[in-house]
Amino acid sequence: MTSPMHKVCVAALLAMSMPAVAMDAPLPGDSVYQLDAHVTDQEARFHAWRSLRGKPTIVSMFYGNCHLMCPMIIASGKALQYRLDPAQREGLAFAMISIDPARDTPDALRDVARMHRLDTTHWRLLRPEAADVRSLAAALGIRYRAQPDGTFNHTSVLILLDRDGRIVARSQVTGLQPDPQFIATVREHLSGTPAVASRSTPPSKDSP
Amino acid sequence: MLAHVFIAASLLAATPPAVSDGFVQIPSGEIRSTVRYEGDDGKRRVATFAMSARAVTVREFAHFVRAHPQWSRGRVPALLADSGYLSNLSDAGTAPHADAPVTHVSWYAADAYCKSIGARLPDWAEWEYVAASDSTRTDARGDATWRARTFDDGTPRAMDARTDAAANAYGVSGMHGTAWEWVGDYATLLGDADKRGSDDGDRLQFCGATGLSFANRDDYATLKRVALLSAMEPRSTLGNLSFRCARSSP
Repeated sequence: MTSPMHKVCVAALLAMSMPAVAMDAPLPGDSVYQLDAHVTDQEARFHAWRSLRGKPTIVSMFYGNCHLMCPMIIASGKALQYRLDPAQREGLAFAMISIDPARDTPDALRDVARMHRLDTTHWRLLRPEAADVRSLAAALGIRYRAQPDGTFNHTSVLILLDRDGRIVARSQVTGLQPDPQFIATVREHLSGTPAVASRSTPPSKDSP
Repeated sequence: MLAHVFIAASLLAATPPAVSDGFVQIPSGEIRSTVRYEGDDGKRRVATFAMSARAVTVREFAHFVRAHPQWSRGRVPALLADSGYLSNLSDAGTAPHADAPVTHVSWYAADAYCKSIGARLPDWAEWEYVAASDSTRTDARGDATWRARTFDDGTPRAMDARTDAAANAYGVSGMHGTAWEWVGDYATLLGDADKRGSDDGDRLQFCGATGLSFANRDDYATLKRVALLSAMEPRSTLGNLSFRCARSSP
């Protein structure tokens, strides 16, 4: 278990590494970061789910012990990353969330990252708290069902979140290459995202 | 001699359903579920667990909201509840009785409530297992007369409509009441709802088979619930949709 102080430091570091983003602006009511969930990354760092706020992010759910669709989800995300120009690549984070926290320990997730040669400055593999898996899946519109043999049926999808966690677009993964329309949407979103968070959202009482 | 009396007494004490903290211990067992997925025979093994003896009440939920004001009607974010959330509680004229099951709650709110008391929502298989029971039998589903009575589930004519209706064989009340109930894995009941008529391309959406079907066309209690729950978003609320909590056995 990580100490609360450690969590505060991680959060502070994260905040500092994302300059020019208004972290104090109220979270939109439909943001997936409204969920009070916690995740641990492949380096065993513990984060509040909402600390991912600040950068447009591609999210999906997967599990390490999956041999068909999950490698395809990751490959499709990597292919998307390579299709962006360097500035856009810099501005996009990837968060792959495990639906199998019992087996996807930080060590197991680090192995997945190594196996897929993921650029871990932009990619995070996240293990949610067991009790948070369902609510994360619900917020992302991802369905999964555990099978008796230890595998999972699950929706295979790449979801583009804006910097505040609103779902911008989603695309079914059907192969190693992402849908061209989805790539276009991601490019457009990244080029249209200003360096400073928009202040156009009126203050609301939505954030807890 | 004294030791024998003591053993007999503790055996007796174990016979009636053990209620503690409002939860009833449910023994493990197997149920042939009415809900089938492609390529399974519907057999579900249910491990020993505990279930709330009745649905969460208006009073209990109001207490939760006071302790966790982020779940109040005025503050809950749109992600977690629709505009109907707790709408019946704010209107003093039509406010339900404090002991009635709380309704107009989203799946997220139900999930958060159960977590707040160190519990979780029951799984569908657990719910179906306990709901198969009447006051004397653990599985009354073979009885056509009883089955016919479940047709009124979710209406004021439901067999467990009264809050003092008799408990079932497990000691659990209100499983066939005026309100439906959320389950934790309700999203898995969606099955092939949005895959109807899909071709092989869509099958890749999942790692394996998913098609959901019903084994018994006359298990109204299950059919109606699955039809209703599969139409819900996790933020949806309804005037006759409630919930209860469960706890895994350590």
